[in-house]
Amino acid sequence: MTTTAATFAYTDTTWPVLERMAAAHRRSWTMLASPGEWWTGAQRISIAAECRRASALVDGLPDPGPGPAELPDAAVFAVHKLIGDLPNVTREWYDETINAVGMSDTHYIELLGVVVHIWSIDEFHRALDIALEPLPDPIPGDPTRRRPAGIKANGSWPLTVLPEDLAESEADIYNGLERASNVRAAMSLHPDSVRWLTDLFDAHYLSWIEITSEQEPFRVLTRPQRELVAARVSALNECFY
Amino acid sequence: MLRESSNRSDALDSLNLQGTVNPDADSGVPHGSLLTAFAEAAVRQTDALPGLREQIVSELGVQELVDAAGVVANFQRMVRIADGCGIPLDEFTRDATDDCREELGLHEYASAANTA
Repeated sequence: MTTTAATFAYTDTTWPVLERMAAAHRRSWTMLASPGEWWTGAQRISIAAECRRASALVDGLPDPGPGPAELPDAAVFAVHKLIGDLPNVTREWYDETINAVGMSDTHYIELLGVVVHIWSIDEFHRALDIALEPLPDPIPGDPTRRRPAGIKANGSWPLTVLPEDLAESEADIYNGLERASNVRAAMSLHPDSVRWLTDLFDAHYLSWIEITSEQEPFRVLTRPQRELVAARVSALNECFY
Repeated sequence: MLRESSNRSDALDSLNLQGTVNPDADSGVPHGSLLTAFAEAAVRQTDALPGLREQIVSELGVQELVDAAGVVANFQRMVRIADGCGIPLDEFTRDATDDCREELGLHEYASAANTA
């Protein structure tokens, strides 16, 4: 089910969700509905819908149904793998996925960007027992199909762009820092996913300035408390990194 | 990061990293056991989640609950980027964390093969 209004109003919730978080969630819904570099808005919403189907499958809940556009089989499988079988994601699987019909390395990174951001917002809602926001209607338009300049093999499976190789159009994605974290760089085949990551990272966790500062962040939980929760979530997902 | 921040924190006398992987271990972080129990219940969507929400509100506060939910949500995202892209450990991080990775048994994770 889709809706034209994506408000994240949080008016009927028990918990006081900060406007900083609500605003980032609203920006995420606009990003989700918009045409990307490699997927249409309708396809991006179908990726998000598939993300919810995968989550429902894991939790034994009724199937919420597909999104408005058909996706390549490999894209559907990738969404389910990333949500429900993360420990068994391998280099071989990645290579098979990006070489499948209808896919490429750029398609995969943009799909991953949609999956992780929608999943993250949905997980926030589930943690607080807040109903999931209905998915938005797609914004018409064609993908721009533009690979960023300066991409190289830098250790991650996908090619990435390092700060020194950024073109002017992507100069903002690492916030002017001389060194990019591996997580941000990993998404740089799709620069808007790096921007999205930065925006939601700030809303949910810490800004990149707070990360590198020795000062206690201006948040409610202390830094050790935040990092303990972060480490526990990583361990539960068996994440070595 | 947890180890580094604990070294700088006035509120933390000593850190036990086992608290990140073992629910029965006391991390030494104030209210750490409650926060990790909440994280686990949220990730696993267990029946303990409603009670843990109420306990965090009672012992820490309602904004702390929302903040904790944000951190859980953030790292449900980050782990999928890391494992979905086979992100490598840089040499500095590997050298700085190899001892605690061994201690915590992280080398046993299937994803360890992806970051070698």
